[in-house]
Amino acid sequence: MRFVADFIGALREAGLQVSPAESLDALKAIKLLGLESRQTSKTVLALTLVKRQADQVIYEELFDLYFAGVGKTKASNKELNKGSNKEADKSESESSDNPLETKNNPHSSQADMSDGEGMQTSPSSSLGQALGKNKDMSLAITQAAIDEKLSSIVLFTQKNYFAYKIMQRLGDEALSAEIRSQANSLEHKNSLEHKRKQRELVKARARLLDQVKDYVEQQYGIFAQHKGLKYREEYLQQAKLSQLDRIDYKLMQRLVQRAARKLASQHSRKRLTRKRGQLDVRKTIAANAAFDGALFHTRWKATRIERPKIVAICDVSGSVSRVARFLLLFLYSMQDVMPKVRSFIFASEMIEVTELFKQQGIELALEEIMKRWGGLSTDYGKALAGFQSQALAGIDKKTTVIMLGDARNNQGDGRTDIWEKVFRQSKRVLWLNPEQRNSWDSGDSIMSEYSPWCSSVEPCRNLKDIERIFSRLLKHS
Amino acid sequence: MFILKQQISVIIKHQEKIASPEIIQSRYEDLGYICSHSVATSIYLACHLQKPILIEGPPGVGKTELAKVTATYLNAPLIRMQCYEGLDESKALYEWKYGKQLLYTQVLKEQLGDVLRGARGLDESIARLHDFGDIFYSQEFLEPRPLLQALQSEDGAVLLIDEIDKADQEFEAFLLELLSDYQVSIPEIGTVKAVSTPIVMLTSNNTRELGDALKRRCLHLYIPFPDAALENRILATQVEGLDSQLREQIVALIGKLRDMPLKKSPAVSETIDWARALLLLNVEELDSHWVKETLNLLLKFQDDIELVEPEIKALLKGLR
Repeated sequence: MRFVADFIGALREAGLQVSPAESLDALKAIKLLGLESRQTSKTVLALTLVKRQADQVIYEELFDLYFAGVGKTKASNKELNKGSNKEADKSESESSDNPLETKNNPHSSQADMSDGEGMQTSPSSSLGQALGKNKDMSLAITQAAIDEKLSSIVLFTQKNYFAYKIMQRLGDEALSAEIRSQANSLEHKNSLEHKRKQRELVKARARLLDQVKDYVEQQYGIFAQHKGLKYREEYLQQAKLSQLDRIDYKLMQRLVQRAARKLASQHSRKRLTRKRGQLDVRKTIAANAAFDGALFHTRWKATRIERPKIVAICDVSGSVSRVARFLLLFLYSMQDVMPKVRSFIFASEMIEVTELFKQQGIELALEEIMKRWGGLSTDYGKALAGFQSQALAGIDKKTTVIMLGDARNNQGDGRTDIWEKVFRQSKRVLWLNPEQRNSWDSGDSIMSEYSPWCSSVEPCRNLKDIERIFSRLLKHS
Repeated sequence: MFILKQQISVIIKHQEKIASPEIIQSRYEDLGYICSHSVATSIYLACHLQKPILIEGPPGVGKTELAKVTATYLNAPLIRMQCYEGLDESKALYEWKYGKQLLYTQVLKEQLGDVLRGARGLDESIARLHDFGDIFYSQEFLEPRPLLQALQSEDGAVLLIDEIDKADQEFEAFLLELLSDYQVSIPEIGTVKAVSTPIVMLTSNNTRELGDALKRRCLHLYIPFPDAALENRILATQVEGLDSQLREQIVALIGKLRDMPLKKSPAVSETIDWARALLLLNVEELDSHWVKETLNLLLKFQDDIELVEPEIKALLKGLR
């Protein structure tokens, strides 16, 4: 069972949310069906532990890594075992029958190690004895790795260090000393028998070292790979969106979606609040049945408060386009709580992209938008005029307008009059500026011309900002 | 083997039926439902661990069918609840029989005289009233809806909560008590526990992400489109009299269509419909004429049809 617990630990490291209750389910299920069949265990653990389709890939990768280790030691044991004596065979088969179970009592292997003492011409170090008997060392290695806290491995540079530490714990010092002393002792130098023995010992040590290294490698794959990812993700949360590398886009998209999902689930329950509306006849009769049908209490139909209606306008020129990309992604990942989103993008023309997102899926559509319009020069005046004709009529007192732009208008007319109309018609206008506060109004930025007609103007530079802004937006709606 | 202490009656009655995933798999096959090993394992675990199963997958892969077959297999009634937006507890769990309640108060009023006869003072009258017993809110006047029916079912039932993703999130939260403890709370009566634990299956088409709390309480089964071999077997059982060569061609073609960037990939149910149609039309071999004529059975969007039509020849060439 320790195997399953370790495996769950590895899954958690990789970012899957496995609750204790689910772990218990997995253990119960494994008890029912056993771990003998790899396919069955894979199915069983997937059924109980993996609840999101997106996590399936990580799960399979980890599972294969984990079981590959188990399978390998099994196979190598069998190979080593060929031609060894019957007694060893027996003990071998006992231990390899179910390598997972035996992990529970690693001490038994240590006890076994010492009983080789009686053997004549056997090596004097206990590790040497164990190797001499062709014992299965994988249990001992596992135990040593646990003692050395191998699961805390983070960087690949630590691999050799851990391999060394594990060897030490297995008793490598004594073994090496023995090999050295045998090589130096004159008395044995001429004896063929001893030479052969010594060579065997050296070989066995090399084999063990390989095995340990393999094991460390495998554990690194399980525990560390995703830890690295975690560090990277933490960094990305704070990173400036406008300076993000292309390489990080994929990872960032995942982060954005995760953050959006979290926010969506937090707020979805606040959505429904009751308000007095129409009389609910059925419920009223039910409530007053006790009074002989005389209607004392009235029951009202619950009316839903409108989910926030959002119009998003994104500048996709130059450096703003990168921020726009993630803002839009965030917006669309929250469709559960904000289903009514209209989105517009502009450089000089205002273009509605709501339909495009619906048809192509957000990621593809974003690629296309950035390719076609990203990087053009901006004309706020022209764009706002376009917005007026396309969407102004649809803006009412329930609408929140979100504008993402740096307000750098290349000296043109900003048409603030249109923005004023938008402000007066809507419930609220948020202006998100991807630049920091002190560079607003510098150069060709005309932020201060727009800001009187905004409910709030805020810098929006990293994922944390986006998350904060939307969290507030949902709270107030 | 590890055996759970509180076995449910469905299982006691059918212990041998659910002895192992392999048995389930082969018996389901006899019933005409070909399933993969992981599906059978999930049913096995659901019975033994008494856990609901959350079934996800593209439409038409047999999610609802699985519940139907399970009910048939275990000789248990299938109680189905279709979810939709706005579904609330009075439609899912219980409702009071208002009409009867009103009649009851009328009857009560007539009896009131008898009950209170000879009572001295208001205190005694009220004391007598209290003794009279109140059945206004009681089982008598309770109209059970699907969820309550499933809990009250004597021999256990298979409860299918279909398309849970269509219901509101509030309803999802309301289901949690049922899913984890097999009980529901009715304010006027108290907690109603399951007479015998039903087997609960929830299906979802993933129109929205379900809550973590719900997922945590369920086994999670994802049914993908079947692979060619499995689909071939499904066709063999569902459409009798289909030539085996034609069958292979159909399966291969469908597999290729699923690899294309379609709005809606053809599902298993559509494969079956198509095969039946071809059989009816006495088609012996797939050719571009017949495929073109019957394509609308497979593809439900005009865009998809337009995308596939020019490719038909190339697709068919690959089959031979």
